Amino acid sequence: MFTQDVILENVLVCLRDMIPGAETVGPDSDMVDDLGLESVKMMDLLMKLEDDYDLSIPINILMDVRTPRQLAASLIGYLEKRNGPV
Amino acid sequence: MTVLYLSETSSAHELVQRLADFPSLTDALDYAALGRTGMNFYDRRCQLTAVLEYRELKVRAQGAAKRLLTLGLSKGDRVALIADTKPSFVEFFFACQYAGLVAVPLPVPAGVGQHQSYVEKLRGLLASCSPSAVLGEEEWLPYAREALDATAVKFIGTDDELEALPLGQPTFVAAQPDDVAYLQYTSGSTRFPRGVMVTQRSVMANLRGISLDGIRLRPGDRCISWLPYYHDMGLVGFVLAPMATQISVDYLRTQDFAMRPKQWLNLLSRNRGTVSVAPPFGFDLCVRRCSPADVDSLDLSNWRVAGVGAEPISIATLDRFAEHFALAGFKADAFMPCYGLAENTLAVSFARADTGAQVDRIDRDILETEGRAVSATEKSTAVSAFVNCGRPLPGHELQIVDDSDNVLAERKVGRIVISGPSLMTGYFEDPESIQKLRATQRLDTGDLGYLFDGNLYVTGRKKDLIIIRGRNIWPQDIELIVESEPEIRPGDAIVFITDKDAEPSVVIQVQYRILDEEKRARLSHTLFAKIHSEFGISPTIDLVPPHSIPRTSSGKPARAEARKRFMSLRAAQRESFAAAGLA
Repeated sequence: MFTQDVILENVLVCLRDMIPGAETVGPDSDMVDDLGLESVKMMDLLMKLEDDYDLSIPINILMDVRTPRQLAASLIGYLEKRNGPV
Repeated sequence: MTVLYLSETSSAHELVQRLADFPSLTDALDYAALGRTGMNFYDRRCQLTAVLEYRELKVRAQGAAKRLLTLGLSKGDRVALIADTKPSFVEFFFACQYAGLVAVPLPVPAGVGQHQSYVEKLRGLLASCSPSAVLGEEEWLPYAREALDATAVKFIGTDDELEALPLGQPTFVAAQPDDVAYLQYTSGSTRFPRGVMVTQRSVMANLRGISLDGIRLRPGDRCISWLPYYHDMGLVGFVLAPMATQISVDYLRTQDFAMRPKQWLNLLSRNRGTVSVAPPFGFDLCVRRCSPADVDSLDLSNWRVAGVGAEPISIATLDRFAEHFALAGFKADAFMPCYGLAENTLAVSFARADTGAQVDRIDRDILETEGRAVSATEKSTAVSAFVNCGRPLPGHELQIVDDSDNVLAERKVGRIVISGPSLMTGYFEDPESIQKLRATQRLDTGDLGYLFDGNLYVTGRKKDLIIIRGRNIWPQDIELIVESEPEIRPGDAIVFITDKDAEPSVVIQVQYRILDEEKRARLSHTLFAKIHSEFGISPTIDLVPPHSIPRTSSGKPARAEARKRFMSLRAAQRESFAAAGLA
């Protein structure tokens, strides 16, 4: 039901809502360095994703995440590990 | 462990309550283990995920203690504990107490994409405390392994892995008052981490003061906390104090609070919490994130002590919270401002119970020019409001001194110097700090404040320290990152704060000789992005000509001087703009 592309699209939509003038947000934008996503906003994004997919996102799966694409990949990996292939 | 049915521990005391009047932490736990109270762990939906009664904690901690001793660890060895808000941390911490080992709580990362910076931080801490074992949850151990020079470590693993080891038959030796119970790393500079040595004597003295004279805990109290276990307020205030007074306590993980601050209030409401403490930013976050409908669903009328500390307290933040949550039954009288620091175990002073936050309104001009705190009148052009942080705990002393160490009269602003039984013996493996404390028996906190009617008013925190949303940031750490840019050499950067109002603003001056506008803009952008990503702050980057950063006679960056020059230049620019009709 969820694919990495669907999650990625959702992440991009959320980011465009949260960041003014964010037409330039792409799958490979650096969320912190390029988009200036501060920690409070990052928490908002994670909360939204937790609610959308009804899951609890452990911070440790996000230790190497810099871009929306990496975030989507980490989430799908986590969901598969938890539920079996989705 | 199979759990068919979980229910949280009761708030009710079966035991006669003893307020931390024990010689050591293990004596305190031995007593708490006679009752049925304990610790409860909740997830982001406020669902109970684990319960740890004090009596079970004792059994599990003793088992882990035996295994650590059987592994060959001996008295005084450090054991690094990655301090996630989980039952295993508490078990490990008390295992160290029974075994005579020195527990060293280490942080967990708080955000996204922090692999490198977290490993870097752990590396500094592990090198500083040179542990014989590292314990933690499975999710964090890979980072510890990466950060560790694995030579001297006898064991690294989880609670399950430790439990698989042989119990053996070691004997416990009762802790002595001067034994170091744990190291508390202050949220200090990554470059120079400092581990405060807290002895059994000092932790018990502070717990006694907190529970008897500060918060004044009573039977039936229930504590609620989301504060991290690796922070002194989280550890001493909400792991050790509830245990040493046999009170039940409920935990949310810090990360869950950061994402959903309302869950803190939910838990307080649902479990009829009576005592909970947070830095001002915690209260602020709740105001910003709770709608009127959220407020409607809460009952905060049982919350009798809402402690506030760990960063400068702005009365406006507290007023907003009290107003926002009045309809949920929150009483402004519950606010209890306090002052403390890890070097004094945790607490130095508490405001009186049931009086709320008392404010002293001061003429800011007189304060800045004469260093005196004089009540503001209608003639005052600017007013500063300082919050009453109360009197020092009984048996503890506090003085305000000037630059020559003369004790100042009331209402004169100076450095806050403390002494008493809760004081650390020094920083770990820092003989200079140990000798100095032994000789003087007192500690210069570096913070500024004044006394009025014996009550402490803090006017400024440690000169160099930058505190933003509860995080302590040291200018040295920012400078290090700036200077790691290939174009910039060591000594070319200086960082200081210009805190006019509530939010401090960080200024980074960088000596840069190239005049090409494009290159300058690119460097500014790169530095901004790096600092923003590392610390979550938005600094002002100011490129200055070579040789323009002021230094002290010993070659250290003169931050106060740099700040003064920067501010006066700014003011001059504003005036010339105004003169030209541009302002």
